[in-house]
Amino acid sequence: MKAMNRRKLISVSAVLAVASLTATAVPAQAAEVGVSTSEIKLGMTLPMTGTASLGYNKIPGAAKAYFDYLNANGGVNGRKITLIVKDDRYVPTEAVAKTNELILKDKVMALLAPLGTANVKAVASSVNPAKRGVPVLFVNTGFSGFADVKKYPTTYAILPSYIMEAKIMGKYIAENFAGKKIGLLYQDDDFGSDALAGFKTAGVNFAVKVAYASGSQGAAAAAGWITKFKAAEADVVILFGVSSATSAMLGTAAVLKYAPQWMLGSVGGDATTIKLTGVPAGVLYNAIGFSPVPATTDMNDEYVKLFSDIYAKAVPGSAFDLNVLLGMNSAFMTAQALKAAGTNPTRKSLMAVLNTQGATLANSALSPVGYSGTSHVGLTGYWVGKYSPTGDLAPLGGTYVTYTTDSGAGAVVKSTYKRPAMPAKGLPN
Amino acid sequence: MHKIKSSQRFVLFVVFGFILFLLSNRVDELRVYQGATAAVFVIAISSIILLTGYSGQVSLGHGALMAIGAYSAAVAHNELHFSILVSFFIAVLASAFGGALLGIAAARLSGPYLAGTTLALAIGLPSLANQFHVLGGEQGLAFDVGSPPPRLGSEFTQYKWYFWIAALAALIAIWLLSNVLGSRYGRNWRAGRSNEVAAALLGINTARSKILAFTLSAGLAGLAGAVLAMIIGTVSPSAFPLALSFSLLTGAVLAGISTLSGVMIGAVVLVSIPELADAVANRIGSSEKITTNLPGFMVSALLIVTVLFLPNGPVEHHRERKAKKAAKKAL
Amino acid sequence: MFTLINTILIGITAGSIYTLMALAIVLVWRSTRVINFAQAGMALLSTYIGYEAIARTHSFWIALFIAMLGGALFAAIIELVFMRLLLKRSTSGPIAAVAPIIATLGVLGVIRSVIAALWGGADVRIIAPVSNFGFTIGKEVLVFSPLKLLILITVVILVLLLTLLFQKTNIGLALRASAYSPEIARLSGIRVDLVRTLGWSLAGAGGAVAGMFQTVNGNGTFSPDSIEFSLLLVSGFIAAVIGGLESLIGAVIGGVILGLVISFVLIYISGSLFFLAPFLVLLTVLIIRPQGIMGVKAARRA
Repeated sequence: MKAMNRRKLISVSAVLAVASLTATAVPAQAAEVGVSTSEIKLGMTLPMTGTASLGYNKIPGAAKAYFDYLNANGGVNGRKITLIVKDDRYVPTEAVAKTNELILKDKVMALLAPLGTANVKAVASSVNPAKRGVPVLFVNTGFSGFADVKKYPTTYAILPSYIMEAKIMGKYIAENFAGKKIGLLYQDDDFGSDALAGFKTAGVNFAVKVAYASGSQGAAAAAGWITKFKAAEADVVILFGVSSATSAMLGTAAVLKYAPQWMLGSVGGDATTIKLTGVPAGVLYNAIGFSPVPATTDMNDEYVKLFSDIYAKAVPGSAFDLNVLLGMNSAFMTAQALKAAGTNPTRKSLMAVLNTQGATLANSALSPVGYSGTSHVGLTGYWVGKYSPTGDLAPLGGTYVTYTTDSGAGAVVKSTYKRPAMPAKGLPN
Repeated sequence: MHKIKSSQRFVLFVVFGFILFLLSNRVDELRVYQGATAAVFVIAISSIILLTGYSGQVSLGHGALMAIGAYSAAVAHNELHFSILVSFFIAVLASAFGGALLGIAAARLSGPYLAGTTLALAIGLPSLANQFHVLGGEQGLAFDVGSPPPRLGSEFTQYKWYFWIAALAALIAIWLLSNVLGSRYGRNWRAGRSNEVAAALLGINTARSKILAFTLSAGLAGLAGAVLAMIIGTVSPSAFPLALSFSLLTGAVLAGISTLSGVMIGAVVLVSIPELADAVANRIGSSEKITTNLPGFMVSALLIVTVLFLPNGPVEHHRERKAKKAAKKAL
Repeated sequence: MFTLINTILIGITAGSIYTLMALAIVLVWRSTRVINFAQAGMALLSTYIGYEAIARTHSFWIALFIAMLGGALFAAIIELVFMRLLLKRSTSGPIAAVAPIIATLGVLGVIRSVIAALWGGADVRIIAPVSNFGFTIGKEVLVFSPLKLLILITVVILVLLLTLLFQKTNIGLALRASAYSPEIARLSGIRVDLVRTLGWSLAGAGGAVAGMFQTVNGNGTFSPDSIEFSLLLVSGFIAAVIGGLESLIGAVIGGVILGLVISFVLIYISGSLFFLAPFLVLLTVLIIRPQGIMGVKAARRA
């Protein structure tokens, strides 16, 4: 075991030595901000502390884990990727301040995976990355507006919109739960109102809708929600909230022996996260779930297998959950786009790659991203699954069948997307 | 305390404004942006100093009053199509009105009860944004004051434009406030603060005087909110968390709560501390657990040290030491 | 019908935990005239102590006791080395009104960051000592369980013990005298400083119970950024203010009223008003009685 580790170490350092030799032998022209002969600097702001940081504070560790793996394997064309992370505490003022530091002081090449609609909007309007030509890659929110190229020309959405998800859920309800009383738990802000808009398009009629104020999702509140769903005799209850709301709801439902047919939205539906908060696995059993990426427990999936191996080594003791998978996936896509952007990548060439080849960049998601010169819409599809007796989400019928739609009035259809095979060792090719 | 005539004060402010103007052409864009943020804090901290330092009332909810100003400015500009200047005025008036209502309630309440009420306001008010469509929900409203006038040249950055507006707003606000504080009202507040009964015997209507202080303080907070909204280009509920109200108090204590003269210090410290803390955390460069939590630790520790060792702020501290030295010499 | 019963039960259980927090705040206020914003942070630290104790002793009750001891000790240290110095240095002028608020907020921040640096940001878990499965009436499962009953009983016992301590013992007399007038108390030979430390320790122990129970009453997990703990900070303070800050019974009434109002608003009106409701309750109470429900008029000048 030890000997093997040493051998690995030697081979890795040999690769590094060769890489650094080639880097010094052929001095690359560093003509872009944040790109030197030996490194590419990226920046990220997101909540690392405060109640809004729950779960999301694992994203930087996940992205760094992938970049470290990549750097140890030669980086991108010999350049290693450095990710600078700043805590914005989910406050727009701080997001603007920290992004200004990243762009004006740290001089990063691009911003990666910022979080929160209000924050990204404030940054777009104040820092104005579009005017500065700074790419904002893979925004971590389901707000559909960031796909608008005219308004946000350098911003790239990644998650499917909440509207798309609600429409796909609506189709499933129409096909499987016709005539049943449907209940909905939603967050009392844009996250929820987008969901309501999607369900409306899909023609879902609710017997009861329960709104919760963000930050109130404790046990006492959850007991209140259940009381309302019970009073309305809902057969199916959709939980379209954040993880802490789903956990509070399912945990409280367990002790109140309340067991309707659950349906979990992807934002709060990650089994690993829910189970870590003490919800018994049995409560999840038979719930319907949706996800744009493979289940985080699906070790047969080559991406999940590789990413979870890398993560387990980089951040020992931390569970591999949906936020980790999404964080690593964004890092992975960034690396590929940088590689495709030429031997001396620039902000422009990076965005050109995303606009022209974005849809063919390999990544773990089960629907393609919709990047083009006229749209920066991210993923567009979800697959439907059921939670197993051990509380893990698995696709209905054993294979991933992805449904795709848009954020408007378009129909929900089965996707024909065949995910390309993962590049060798998960390194950009 | 020696007295400055109001004409002298005016000249002082003009000179200071000119220095700021020169400075804004010298420093890089990040510092210009931070200067604009500091101007917001100058206005907001001075509003706390007026309320707490002069009139002796405590507010944990000034973030909410800033939100009223920010939202009023955005709605006035976007929906009613008022100019930026008029929108700022509307922001001041709207917050002052909210402050007057709060002040009427506050005049009956003593310290901790007022602290409780304003704290509950700071938590409750921002959630209103999700109840009314016109307020734009969680993602908020855009607030775009437009690009700098073209005659300033193409090199003139947006942040410099924001800085000019913010600094001008701060200078005017502080100038007006220092005139008010030097007037009869300022004396009434101080009298009411140190001894309410004695002040009442002197014929000062302490309740009315307190309400007036709250109204003015809220108006300043509203201006700060509107200027902040301009700088971050948007107004949203999450921009006005409870932590903002707390950090304004912090700034006021760092500035020295009983005098306006330290207000710049408080604002500059508030703006620069997170960046400094980040730098230190990166220099130490240990585990992520430590680097993530070091900035929060440093800010809190600074707070504790300040209230313990400089409770009346650096300016007052310096003045006291000078006075002591002078007293020793006289002996 | 069951909706109404459940609404009341939810309100009372939540209210009983707010009560514990409010009691802690009242104890500190009475002994030192300080609103302790660090109370929730101290409760969080005690809960981590309890969590470590459970890992070693495998008993909730021993761990609860250790958490209470830890909480009391920590509170005593804060009072001894920190608040004492603070109150000596900023007794006059406008700073006296805000210095304790700023200082305790500072303590809260330090506690939070130290906890996060020591234990990390991830959830840790405490298992409840008794079942949290709701009682059943016929086919209906009530929002009330053996655990919630236990919480209620514990809170009642603690309130009774505190009342006894205050009304029937010399220590209680000293506590009341120092709160009423420190100068007179000092002249009559009461060691006011010691009594103050005692007030803080009692509060620290009470906060520990609140933290432990709040955690097991939820999903049993908590972290430095738990939503449950940030709710504790705010609701405990608001409950104490509603009750009048001076009286133990006031804290109980304030806690229960707050719990019930939030529960009724949540179930009968809308969850959107969760954070607005406490403000409206507080405003209503204070408009009718500016000194809180059980507060005394004279206390306004304090």
